[in-house]
Amino acid sequence: MSLEQSALLLRRQLAELNRHPVDGFSAGLIDDDDIYRWEVLIIGPPDTYYEGGFFKTHLTFPRDYPLKPPKLKFMTEIWHPNIDKTGDVCISILHDPGEDKFGYERPEERWLPVHTVETIMVSVISMLADPNDESPANIDAAKEWRERREEFKKKVARCVRKSQETAWD
Amino acid sequence: MGNCLKSPTADDISLLRGNDSQDGSEASSEPPPPYQESVHVPMYHPAPNISRPASQLTEEEQIRIAKRIGLIQHLPTGIYDGSKKIRECVICMGEFCVGDAVRYLPCMHIYHKECIDDWLMRSFTCPSCMEPVDAALLSTYET
Repeated sequence: MSLEQSALLLRRQLAELNRHPVDGFSAGLIDDDDIYRWEVLIIGPPDTYYEGGFFKTHLTFPRDYPLKPPKLKFMTEIWHPNIDKTGDVCISILHDPGEDKFGYERPEERWLPVHTVETIMVSVISMLADPNDESPANIDAAKEWRERREEFKKKVARCVRKSQETAWD
Repeated sequence: MGNCLKSPTADDISLLRGNDSQDGSEASSEPPPPYQESVHVPMYHPAPNISRPASQLTEEEQIRIAKRIGLIQHLPTGIYDGSKKIRECVICMGEFCVGDAVRYLPCMHIYHKECIDDWLMRSFTCPSCMEPVDAALLSTYET
């Protein structure tokens, strides 16, 4: 896929999301001149510990998108088993495609070129609602989620409050 | 993997413009470095997350890639004539135009030849139904 094609595909998705916004997030470019770097604001999903939060994330696409997955980083502080302490999101659909020798992830759980910003964000929002504590990126958060749920809830609530204060900066 | 070293010229430009160069953005604005040949070197993917030119592949990787190219070439191709139910290539999200070169996978999904061939070099599965292409190929040989 050439540079022009990946840019064209991303422009098409941006236009589509502007025309038909999707519940749960709003997407735009960090810099209008760079189609490869998006800022996506995730609205904490209702009926989860993250409800009421506004989480700013950066989605960075490689030049050979959609053959390779983008990277997603939370810029707003967040406490979650599958998001490491620097904000990097670790979910299987953002892992490189291919033959997983060890069989941890089935091919359909990994990156596919049919994924779009919308399908990625839908997965991330469902990850917020339903952490996978079997492959944690933040081990402390995963342990807390499993063993000291009240403490976990308190930390998340603190992040939600903070996110409300900083969302419009 | 990206080169993290920034050239001094890029830094100078960002200083003149008065903005911080942020990660990922430095490559796009700077002029191409001198003495770089603009010859296109084809890249291969011995593993999904590794990209290397042919000259840097091990013998084993070369054989694997050659086999993969052979398998891909066994998949039927055609010219889109507008008669198919599938009207869009889900990889580039572009509509098929009459005359486009398309490739048919054993699961009957079709894509632009250029779009799907690049993908099949990385992962031998159909992006729409995740059907492993080689298993399907082998079963069609058996019948």
